[in-house]
Amino acid sequence: MSNKAARNLFILGSLFFFAIFLGLTYDTMGKLDKRAPEITEQVNAGKMVWHKYDCIGCHTIFGNGSYFAPDLTKTTLNKPKIYLRQFLMDPRSANPNASMPKLGIRSEEADDLIVFLDWTSRVDTNGWPPKPILAAAGGVAGKELTEGQRVYQSHGCSACHTINGIGGTTGPDLTRVGAKRDRAWLVGHFKDPVAFVKNSAMPKVEAPESEIDKLTDYMLTLK
Amino acid sequence: MSVKYQSQKIAEYFYTFAVVLFLVQVVVGIIAAVQFIWPSFFILNFNTIRTLHINALVVWHLAGLMGATYYVVPEESETELWSLPLAKLQFWATVVAITAVVLGYIWMGLNPQANSPIMGINPLNEGREYIEAPRWADMLIVISVLLFLFINFMTMMKTKRWTGIQGTLVGGLLVLALMYLPGMFYSKSMVKDQFWWWWVIHLWVEGAWEVIAGALLAFMLMKVVGAKREVVEKWMYIEVGFVMFTGILGTGHHYYWIGTPSYWLWVGGIFSSLEPLPLLFMVWDAFRTTREARNVENKAGLYYTVAHAIFNFVGAGLWGIIHTLPQINKWTHGTQITTAHGHLAFYGAYVLLVMAMIYITLPAIRGVKSFDASRAFASFWWMTISMVFIVLTITGAGMVQVYMERLMGLDYVAVKATYNLWFWILRAIFGVGFLIGVGIFVVDFFRLGKGSAHVVTAASERA
Repeated sequence: MSNKAARNLFILGSLFFFAIFLGLTYDTMGKLDKRAPEITEQVNAGKMVWHKYDCIGCHTIFGNGSYFAPDLTKTTLNKPKIYLRQFLMDPRSANPNASMPKLGIRSEEADDLIVFLDWTSRVDTNGWPPKPILAAAGGVAGKELTEGQRVYQSHGCSACHTINGIGGTTGPDLTRVGAKRDRAWLVGHFKDPVAFVKNSAMPKVEAPESEIDKLTDYMLTLK
Repeated sequence: MSVKYQSQKIAEYFYTFAVVLFLVQVVVGIIAAVQFIWPSFFILNFNTIRTLHINALVVWHLAGLMGATYYVVPEESETELWSLPLAKLQFWATVVAITAVVLGYIWMGLNPQANSPIMGINPLNEGREYIEAPRWADMLIVISVLLFLFINFMTMMKTKRWTGIQGTLVGGLLVLALMYLPGMFYSKSMVKDQFWWWWVIHLWVEGAWEVIAGALLAFMLMKVVGAKREVVEKWMYIEVGFVMFTGILGTGHHYYWIGTPSYWLWVGGIFSSLEPLPLLFMVWDAFRTTREARNVENKAGLYYTVAHAIFNFVGAGLWGIIHTLPQINKWTHGTQITTAHGHLAFYGAYVLLVMAMIYITLPAIRGVKSFDASRAFASFWWMTISMVFIVLTITGAGMVQVYMERLMGLDYVAVKATYNLWFWILRAIFGVGFLIGVGIFVVDFFRLGKGSAHVVTAASERA
């Protein structure tokens, strides 16, 4: 191959692939709006807050960004909004172990940001992040769950709480909660967390009386 | 050895700025590594430190590539730069703009409210990874780059002596300048925002920059071992051709999970799997060309040139391909595996490239016939060994993270707290090793040819 032929191959080939890329981009742009919820003014305001505080400098969104702090793409599906709101404004008041600094996010900024994060959580991301293999396998070592454990699972308590090393770190570890609290405290706390723990970011457990009883039974076995 | 054209000396201005920023990048990088262990270690939070780390990297590479271009273009065109005063103005304007941006980041780091929007625009930090520069700075950067391209274009027009290296180099820079523009759209949709943002990031580092690297590799092979122009240029076209053929549609590997249609899984998977090929060609080209070289005067230049080719392939190629298929990327996306790839790829592809160009052109700029390469070698080994261990450490951390977080479903914070204190400690230790290497390089940069023994006087050059 002569130098000239190599050069022409480089130039024309690059233009050819760039033309395909432009075509795919055009097609993609026409499809994006159908794959995501409508963008309201508040979603956009939340996005501006996201940029203002350089959140991407620690967090990822859609998996892009910094890997210092959790990915927030689907965070509103797992964490109660009441918790997120309090966390954004003063991280350590919501979670004493938080390493996020208090940035001075105002309450309306926190609201906008949560609306924005709720938007990203409903974008069709081709199934990412994937459901963890072991969690998807379900059950624990083939053992039948008690009714209380089932309530605990169905309400997603493990997104925030840990029992025997499994679960989230947002709320307190519940491994020995039965040794610390009595039935009256637990039932009252489920119905109205703030009345029992000042500044609690836990949402009320919206469940019928019978389920709260079963959940309390389960908690009392944890000693 | 000295420069053929006096205006080539402008390159040293850019190199000096690049070297200083390189030192800043590595120092703040170590602060960031320590913050993984101890988040409140420094007065600035991690996000500001990381912004400084990444932006210093991007800017010092750009400054290095600009310097290299100002050196290469007069030589290839066989004429002085079209306007040296304008080139100096471009240099100082760039330095002032970059300094203002950095001060803005620090101010915002100390007082996040300082970045409150003014007429809908964040004044200090755009809050978008890698291109954090605010809008006013974007404009200044565009003006500076246009001026830079204009000066080089006018220089070429003076003699109309087009060489392949020169054309490819300036073509790469032109694409780089054009691809900066999609990053300046504002989109209310985070999905569209990220879509266009990858045009900047991916088409820069895996497109335009690799084309520039291909052109500079050809130039360096000619300079260091006296390879024939016809041969290096033909290979250069093949290399950079494959860079573009695979790299443009390879952008698709960033479009797997951000809300884009699923056909990108196929497009990205196929084309990004081919992306290591041109890098492999470059390694083969470098070996083939340098194998027969005897009595090379500039050993440091040769060393860095070949090392650049090898580590470009290992870092960008191998560490990229391990997680580029969508079936794997689904689990590794957004984890430390990406960080590991990023570190080795930038080190191999661009740190070693700019350093190779410095070691090849600086002796000529300073009028040095030969120089003691021992510091250059020491710096190379300190940096390379440290970087390899940094990358292995982060890769290990990433593998544990993928297993615990993605496969077992443990909470990110729990995983971060338990799994890898040792990884972070090792990473910080090797970071210090890397800093030692950089320190040796900085000393070498400022002292190369400054000792009286090496300076070639006008008289001895005649003799």
